[in-house]
Amino acid sequence: MITAMARQSRVRAAFAAAGLTGVLVAGCSSAGDKPAASSCKPSTGKVTLQYWNFVPGMKKVLDVWNAANPNIQVTMKNIANNSADQITNAVKANQAPDLAQIGYDSLPQFRSQDMLADVSGCAPATAAKSKFIDWTWSQSTFGGQGIFAFPQDIGPLAMYYRADLFTKYNIPVPKTWAEYQAAGKTLKAHDSSVAITAFDPSNSYLFDGLLWQKGGQMYSYKDGKWVVSIDNPNARAVAAYWQGLIKDGTVRTDLKNGSTPLTNAYAKGKLATMIGAAWSYTNLRDNVPKQSGAWRVAPLPQWSAGENRAGNWGGSTVAFIKGGKHTYEAVKFNEWLNSDPAALKIENSVGGLYPAATAGADLPALKVGTPYYGNQNIFDVFRQSAKNIDTSWQWGPTQVTAYTSLGDAMTSAVAKGSDLSAALKVSQDAVIKAMEGQSIPVTAGN
Amino acid sequence: MTSLTSNAAVPAREPGRAKRSRSRSGPRAGSIAAFLLPFFVLFTLFYIAPILYALVQSFEKIQRSGGQYGTLSTVFGGTTQYSAVLSNPDFWASLGRVGLFGIVQVPVMLFLSLLIALLLDSRLIRFKAFFRLTAFLPYAVPGLIAAIMWSFLYHPQLSPIVRTLDDLGLHVDFLSESSVLWSIANISTWLWTGYNMLIIHSALQAIPQDIYEAARLDGAGDIAIALRIKVPIVLPSILLATVFSIIGTLQLYSEPSVLAQVAPSVSTTFTPNMMTYGIASGGNHQQAAAMSVVIAVATFVLSFGFMKITNRKTDA
Repeated sequence: MITAMARQSRVRAAFAAAGLTGVLVAGCSSAGDKPAASSCKPSTGKVTLQYWNFVPGMKKVLDVWNAANPNIQVTMKNIANNSADQITNAVKANQAPDLAQIGYDSLPQFRSQDMLADVSGCAPATAAKSKFIDWTWSQSTFGGQGIFAFPQDIGPLAMYYRADLFTKYNIPVPKTWAEYQAAGKTLKAHDSSVAITAFDPSNSYLFDGLLWQKGGQMYSYKDGKWVVSIDNPNARAVAAYWQGLIKDGTVRTDLKNGSTPLTNAYAKGKLATMIGAAWSYTNLRDNVPKQSGAWRVAPLPQWSAGENRAGNWGGSTVAFIKGGKHTYEAVKFNEWLNSDPAALKIENSVGGLYPAATAGADLPALKVGTPYYGNQNIFDVFRQSAKNIDTSWQWGPTQVTAYTSLGDAMTSAVAKGSDLSAALKVSQDAVIKAMEGQSIPVTAGN
Repeated sequence: MTSLTSNAAVPAREPGRAKRSRSRSGPRAGSIAAFLLPFFVLFTLFYIAPILYALVQSFEKIQRSGGQYGTLSTVFGGTTQYSAVLSNPDFWASLGRVGLFGIVQVPVMLFLSLLIALLLDSRLIRFKAFFRLTAFLPYAVPGLIAAIMWSFLYHPQLSPIVRTLDDLGLHVDFLSESSVLWSIANISTWLWTGYNMLIIHSALQAIPQDIYEAARLDGAGDIAIALRIKVPIVLPSILLATVFSIIGTLQLYSEPSVLAQVAPSVSTTFTPNMMTYGIASGGNHQQAAAMSVVIAVATFVLSFGFMKITNRKTDA
């Protein structure tokens, strides 16, 4: 039985090598002259596509498509638990779906495990470029190396704040990080039980978004090697800033993102702001209903006055998974799913998604005020934020390790009271080691 | 368990009967095999085969060629993964953590189980069925639910216990780096004491009453009976429960994972199993396989070692 297993894995590896040649050529050639990596001919007869995701209410979207497209039926599976592992296991078992929800930050890892299909041979796929915000298309195509996914939604960062508290204590809404730090101290002077925000050192997902805003690029590719520079000056500046707030005693470090204690702290009025993404707006609305009218949304504080830069936290793409048999139909559905106003409308209202499609900005639902936020049109803030996101940001091929190593190192630093920026080096070393363990050519950037 | 009252007369066997039972063993063995076959097929498919697959995988490594993302292949890696695992300080830290956990939590829990079992078996307690049920009830709570519940009881933002102690002037932090391991131990103890108690209690129930009569005639009190008659007789059950607990401790995963949702002090490499899962999620299945093999070997050595040592003692 052992030899059978080993033989199988060798056969599978050979298959993968053969199938990858097309992608490899696409990856090495310059943008524009890509050979078809997968056949893009319309299939005859009825086609059933499998789409795995965890967007609330996605079934309603599929109902709309299925009613209008009897020959291309789409079924879905909810993969809210361990979505990445579920997809990986399915691909390894040759039971992969045609399309799956994969975060922008996970695309390099999936590609490095050879689980994504390049559909750039499909004319409708290349034509879809104009429908999406620049940086989302850039990340979905790895800077033009191939088309592996269509962007679905984004998470532009902004600052949610308790306008009533700021008014009560006569604190101007902070426009810069320096003002934010000062606001924290003023708040504390008035009421020592209120923190300006909760800083969860294990939440490296948000932290990376803040690095994105500052331009603390973590990865690049040069001379045939990945260059890992998590420990860069901009990143250190961000870490040093938050260490300052921890020293001021104006942030809570014991509340984990998404946890019940955190929601409880908001409900008890212990936190004056929330640095969050566009999709976070439902958190407060649904979990802290009593504070309706008290919260507003403002742009993320800037590092220099007058600047207008933002970062992104989260958001997903709908990726084409390797082994899919109906590329043409998958492309057509994926394009409709993520750019058609009818689909976007449901995804936004039920799923809470902020669309990556440029057409998304014109959604009627995004042009009105949100009652919970005192009827402020919060989506205006997010639209501005989305425009100011650096398109050159890249994620790495071992992003899971990057996230966990940074989260663990920062948590440990906070617990010990040691230097937060030292955690960046710890994470960088762990990422380089992980890449070497997977034979990915890598070198340290700093 | 030795029987102390085996004085029942054994009827003499007729020679004819013996012959008949020997001829019956042929077809009987066939039907036994038929009943056991489904189990062995499933056991091999879903237990042995995956273990062997992981074993093979642990000796492989990933190789890439060409370009930023390259062509992927798995090749024989020898001991690459094992040296990576064994040279990882986080791995040893996590092993040390569960080791420390086991050395303290297992004896404490088994002591409590034994105590409760003895109390239930004594003449001191009334409403035995009620107390037996309530002692066992925590085991009926699914492990994840119990961990979530306890996480709410530990976190200062939510916990009535912490708030009350705060009001009394005692500032406790159940989730600090130094105390979180024991908070997890508390959850495990709460969950498993009743289960282990039941194992020991069942063994106590099987002891024939005439021993106690004889002991009381000799002037033994309740405590002497408990310590010098009951405990030695149920020792095999206690040792069995210990082996299960050792194995369970080395596989600690769900309680720390749940606590990690609310406690920053639980890192992603807190226990060996959490670390293995993290490596697999990171894409290096070969290294994760090697790590699981190392954990399995450690578990094997510790549990068998324990059984060997205690067998020698009970035989002597």
